[in-house]
This record gives sequence, C-alpha cells and structure tokens, in this order.
Amino acid sequence: MKIVVDALHFTYPSGVEALRGVSLTIEPGEQVALVGQNGSGKTTLVKHLNGLLRPTQGRVWVGDWDAAQMPVAKLARRVGYVFQNPDEQLFSRSVGAEVAFGPRNLGFSADRIAKQVAWALEMTALTAHKDTNPYDLSPTWRKMVALAAVIAMDTPIVVFDEPTTGQDAAGVARIARVIAALRAKGRTVITITHDIDFCAENFERVIALAQGQVLLDGPAREVLAQEEALARTYVDPPQLARLAKQLGLPVVPLNQEEFLAAYRQSQKLSNLHG
Amino acid sequence: MHERLSFYIPRSSTLHQLNPLTKVTLTFTLIILAFFSPWYWTAPLLAVGVILPLSALGQVLRPYLSAAARLVLPAVAFIFVMQSLFLPGGQTVLVRLWLLEVTVESLSAAFLTTTRIFAMVSAFILFLLTTHPSHLMSDLTRRKLPAAFAYVIISTLQIIPQMQAKAQTIMDAQRARGLDTESGFIRRVQALTPLVGPLVFGSLVEVEERAIAIEARGFSSTRPKTSLHEIPDTPRDRAIRWVLLALIVLTFASKLWLS
Amino acid sequence: MAVLNLRNVTYTYPLTDAPVLKNVSLQVEEGEFVAVIGPNGAGKSTLCYAIAGFIPHFYKGELTGTVEVEGVDVRQTTLSERVLQAGLVFQNPFSQITGAKYTVYEEIAFGLENTGVPPDEMHRRIGQVMRLTGITDLAERSPYALSGGQQQRVALASILVMEPKILVLDEPTSQLDPIGAREVFAVIKALSEQGRTVVMVEHKVEWVAAFADRVIALDGGEIVLEGTPRQVLSAVELAGRGFGLSRYTLAAHEAEKQGLWPRGEPLPVTLAEAVAGFGRRGGKA
Repeated sequence: MKIVVDALHFTYPSGVEALRGVSLTIEPGEQVALVGQNGSGKTTLVKHLNGLLRPTQGRVWVGDWDAAQMPVAKLARRVGYVFQNPDEQLFSRSVGAEVAFGPRNLGFSADRIAKQVAWALEMTALTAHKDTNPYDLSPTWRKMVALAAVIAMDTPIVVFDEPTTGQDAAGVARIARVIAALRAKGRTVITITHDIDFCAENFERVIALAQGQVLLDGPAREVLAQEEALARTYVDPPQLARLAKQLGLPVVPLNQEEFLAAYRQSQKLSNLHG
Repeated sequence: MHERLSFYIPRSSTLHQLNPLTKVTLTFTLIILAFFSPWYWTAPLLAVGVILPLSALGQVLRPYLSAAARLVLPAVAFIFVMQSLFLPGGQTVLVRLWLLEVTVESLSAAFLTTTRIFAMVSAFILFLLTTHPSHLMSDLTRRKLPAAFAYVIISTLQIIPQMQAKAQTIMDAQRARGLDTESGFIRRVQALTPLVGPLVFGSLVEVEERAIAIEARGFSSTRPKTSLHEIPDTPRDRAIRWVLLALIVLTFASKLWLS
Repeated sequence: MAVLNLRNVTYTYPLTDAPVLKNVSLQVEEGEFVAVIGPNGAGKSTLCYAIAGFIPHFYKGELTGTVEVEGVDVRQTTLSERVLQAGLVFQNPFSQITGAKYTVYEEIAFGLENTGVPPDEMHRRIGQVMRLTGITDLAERSPYALSGGQQQRVALASILVMEPKILVLDEPTSQLDPIGAREVFAVIKALSEQGRTVVMVEHKVEWVAAFADRVIALDGGEIVLEGTPRQVLSAVELAGRGFGLSRYTLAAHEAEKQGLWPRGEPLPVTLAEAVAGFGRRGGKA
C-alpha cells in the first residue's frame, strides 16, 4: 500500500505551524525511520496517516484513500499506530483480551482473531502472560502489550512512535525482531525514533525533518553520513559510524558486520602499503 | 491549552490584598445574609449594591460580569421559569398555560430563590477572581488545616486540565485501534470502557509515582511547616472579620426573633 | 565511614513470593559516583527505593539485612527523615511535578516548606540550586509548560535544594529526547565534579563510563560484577545476560575473535578507547 504525501501543511489551533510543505512517497514494504528534534513535525506528520490530524493544506493518500476524507476508525484498517505511552491504551483485564481488541474492532473472524493474537503474543514474548492483567506487568512489558495489540491488527502499514524508549537491550532486540517479521511479511514500517543506532541497524531509508520540512530523505547510508545537516536537527550519527569516520574508513557502516568488513578491508590495504 | 483551572486574575487591588481568610469570611457572610435575612429584597440588593461595586473595587468588574453572564444567568433563568410554573399553592393566577399556571405567589417565590442563588454564586465568583488558590491554601495550612487536604484541593486544580488532555490522547489511541466513536448510541456506550479504563488505570499509576515524588520532598515530615511567602494578616483584616461575624450573628438573631 | 552501607539486604514485595533483592551488600564512600546497570527487572529501582527509605516505609514487604545512611539504619528512622539524607529522582519528569505550585520557583520550595526551612534560607538555596541546574530563567514559568528535559532539571533542583548527602538517580534520562538527556547529564556532570555522592541507575553506557568511579552490575536481584567502568562495561559475558554494552565493546570483542583487535588490549567502552585500539594496527590512526 503506497503512501503519498503531497505538499502537506499543518497548523495547530494554537497557531503553531508544524508542517510547512512536506512531500514524500513511501512504497509498499519500505522500512522508514523518521528522525529530527522534538518539534520538527515527525508526530504531526504520521498522525495524518491515520486521520488523527487533517491537513490544513495539501493531500495525504493511503493507498487509494484520501486520508482527510476517511474516519479514523476506518483508516485503522490500513494504518496501525503504536503510541508512545502504553498506559493511554490499556484497559482490558488480560493481555489476550487487550491484544484482541483491535482485531475485533476491525471485524475479523473468530479464527483470524485467534491466529493474529497468538502471532502477536509470540512476537512480543508475551504468550506466557496471555491471562495476566496488563497493569500487573512492568511499564516496559506494558509497552510490549501495546505493540502486540497493534501488530495483531495485521495492517499493511504500521507506525511506531519511539518504540525503544525505556527498553533494555533485550527489549530493543525484541522490537527489532518484530520489525524484521513485518518486513518479511511485506508490510510498510514507519518509525519515529531518536535512537540513531537502532535506526541504522533496522531501517533502510531515513527521513530527517527540521522545522516542519524535509531536510534529508534517502537511503540510511547516505543520510546518516551527512553529519552537519543532521546536527542542525540535533541528530547524532550512530556509534559505529562515528568510529569509522575517526578511523578514516571510507564507508558509513550501519551495523557491526559492515564496520568489521570495512575495517578488515582497510587493514588489508594498509598491510599492502605498510 | 489552559495550564490550570483557575479564575484568579492578578491585580493589586484592595480586595486582592486582603487576607484569604478574610475573603472566605466575606463570601460566607454574603451567602448567609442572602439566604437567612428576613428582608425579601436582601439578595438582589447584595448582588447589585455590594458584590458588583466590590468587583469594581477589586479591578475585576468586566471578568465578573462576563463570568456571571456566562455561568450564572442561564442556570438562574431556567430555575426562575421552572419555579414560576411549577410551584403549587398559589392563589392569584396571572397567566395560564394549558395545565400550568403562573401565580403571584409562585413568581415571588421564584424571584426569591433565584436572586439568592445568584448572590451566592456571584460571591463565589468574586472570591475566586481575587484570591490565588495557593495563597488560600498556604494561609489555611498555617491556620492548621491538614496539609494533605490543602494538597488534594490545589493539585486537583492543576491536574484536571492535564487529565483532559490525556483523555483526548486516549480517545485518539483507541480510535486508531478501530474503536467506533461516531455511529450509534449503543456503540458509543460500548466505547466508554476503552476510553475511561486507561484514564483511570493510568491515573492510578501516576498517583503512585506522584506519591513517591511528594514523599521524597518530605511531605509527611512532622517538622513544623514554613511558607515561602508570608501572607499578611493585618489588623484591618481582623477588624473586617469581626464585623462580618457580627453581621452573621445579627442575621440569625433577627431571623429567630421574627419567627 | 561509608556514607551508604548495605549489608546482606534481601527484600520481597508484599503479596509476592520471590525476593527482588537477594543478599545485596554495597558500600559507598562520600563523594563516590556509583552507577548501577542491569536488565529490566534486575531490581535496580528496588535498590533505589531501599536507599531512599521507601523500602520498607512506603512499600512495606519483607526486608532483611541493614541499610545504613550515615550510620543510621532505615528501620531506626522515618521516611520523611531518610529522604533528607538520600534524595530520589526517577524517570518520569511529569509525575515528579507536585501539582501544588504554580511556578517553578515555588515548586522547588515545596520540599523546604514541608521540612520547616526558614524563608530567607529558602531563597538562598533555591537561587543556588537553580543556577546549578541552569533553570534560573524558568523561575516564573508553570512547571507544566516545560519540556521533559526542563521538567527533569526542576525535579533535580527540587531534590538538591534539600541538601541530601546522597543523590539517588533512577534512569533520569530514559524518557527524555537527546537534547533533554544532554541537559540533564550536564547537570549530573557538574554534580559529580562538585564531589557529590551519587548512585545512578543508567542504561546509556557511554555516560556511565564518563561519570562513574565504580559500576555495579545487577541481575536477578544479585550483584554479579563490580569494578571500574572499564572493567565492568567491557565484560562481554554480561551481554549474554541481557546487559546493554556499547557497540564499541561488542565490535571490538568480535574483532578480537577475528584477530583484528590488539592482543591483550582491554576492550573499549568509549569512542576514544575504540579509536585508540582500532587505530593502533596501522590504518590512518
């Protein structure tokens, strides 16, 4: 399901102009990270995708639907949105019931609901807690419940808003696995994140916003190499990219394997000349 | 977005400078006078001849009139109409509408009730316009009101607007999960649990964290509490309170004597 | 004498069976900066509550062992007296706003009013603490009208103003954006340079390496490793237990296996250490 954002402007009732002409296209199955300082318009932009905000000017297409004309509950069929604070969603008596809520609203058959719930719980390592009350879990696990509740809806597009905040290393790895699973299913994943290492390791395309406009948009490797531009929207380069730069390596490594491969290569070359 | 629920308007008027307890006493005196004075025209006289001029003295005339018009008049007008039409036992009929009749007696009773209510609410509005809630609470705490009580009142004023914002976010989150909040009454009733649930549970979680935060600031310390700002209590304040007290006693006395 | 002394502390929350802290012993000298790392559920927050007196006074439950601050065991004192010795700041900036005050200045005064500090002293301390946390220009703003980083600095100021001997920080930046986190770490740096005694729970290992004199690795309620930042944060076996080591450490460990890291060189934790190590074997060091 393709997403097209065409000259989008949005001004909040308070008068703050949050988006000042954003245009972009996201093809089906792309994995996109949205980065930029707070106030650059990231959340404002993604809230147009599921109709929580309507454009002041410009158009947003989700597949063949004009998002501005569709009720939020209907757009929920195509765009799943994982909010940052799980406590703003959780109300059911058990994790299982909570995760089934979205699929039920979308009118899935009982079979499909059961299948989706089981899959979502397995992906988030919550199968053992199916009958636990969400509020008996720690805040980091509640965040997993909220995530499971949205991926269970099996939408072609999934938006994550700061999914790794407050998670430990195991939690971040779990989320990375969920994103990989969604990629394998051909889903479009859009993530707002300020964890730039997580971004580099999991997303092929990076869009940097600054002051309501697109500052950079391209493959992760290219965007993350542009340190000065990123610095303008208070984004630091990933750890290994910084290391590679200081060592004079010619590539921008997105993960450990790439770094070591580049380093090995540079050692071979220096041994040749050394 | 308002950051707090507050009527307070900062000014440097005489009213603003009065001690909060004095203003509390004034408000109560006005209410007691309005409700218990044996003279029929007390309430309207207080509203127009005392509260209105006081609002001018407090440099809050326009906000007072606007609040009174917005908040009080509609309710009071409704009560007036209802009482005029429905109060039984009247003799002299003025107007008859189908099964209902407006009598001189019901009209005069309606007038009495509504002017009393108007005077009461106006007195409160004036009080809220000229008294900073935290000054009131500081002063009452100094006079031995339990700190927990004062804390609950004050924090509620600030936290309710935050909860309103949160309720909106919750609604957004649940709509984004396909919750139908637009079509049909039954659907909307079913939609209540997913909207109210997170608000309640989320608030409970927050309450625990906030309790820890205030304990970390010595909230249950048994040391005698001090106050950052001194709220003056002048001889003028004390004199005014005695006069008001005397008025209250007089009102009750005259009511007893005349009945 | 150690300013903080935990001996054989075991704690179980009420209505649960499994202890969350198991036989934990820890001594902190005055002026030390101790960081605590560990996966979620390791007992880090529980440890913070125990130091600040919330365990056992607020949470009840079963506590065995001794928790002494300046020689006084937690059971020998009340919660409101203990918090004057050990101040606690935790993750959520929003829930640390009392809601009772309309300006930042008054918010900071809240703790001083509760504990009977005279007004003149209050003004002196508040001014000082606002300068330290860089929030002097926020004095008249409503605490609710601030960014997360600003709110967290107000929370820090509100605790520091009470002049506790020990400052306990439970993941102070985990809910902040990078700018807010940087602001808070700048304050923590200033505190550490002043020689405050700090116990900080933190996931971001680069910051731990920058500030801590000593690192405690907590897992399943037990201390599994203790030592200098370089010693603990480069212990790769911790990664297998769910600890989040820095990517420099993990990359160097893998490089070591492939013979690409200088033999015998301890694994790096910070960027500088990584550059020094990787740069040594030729290349453009």
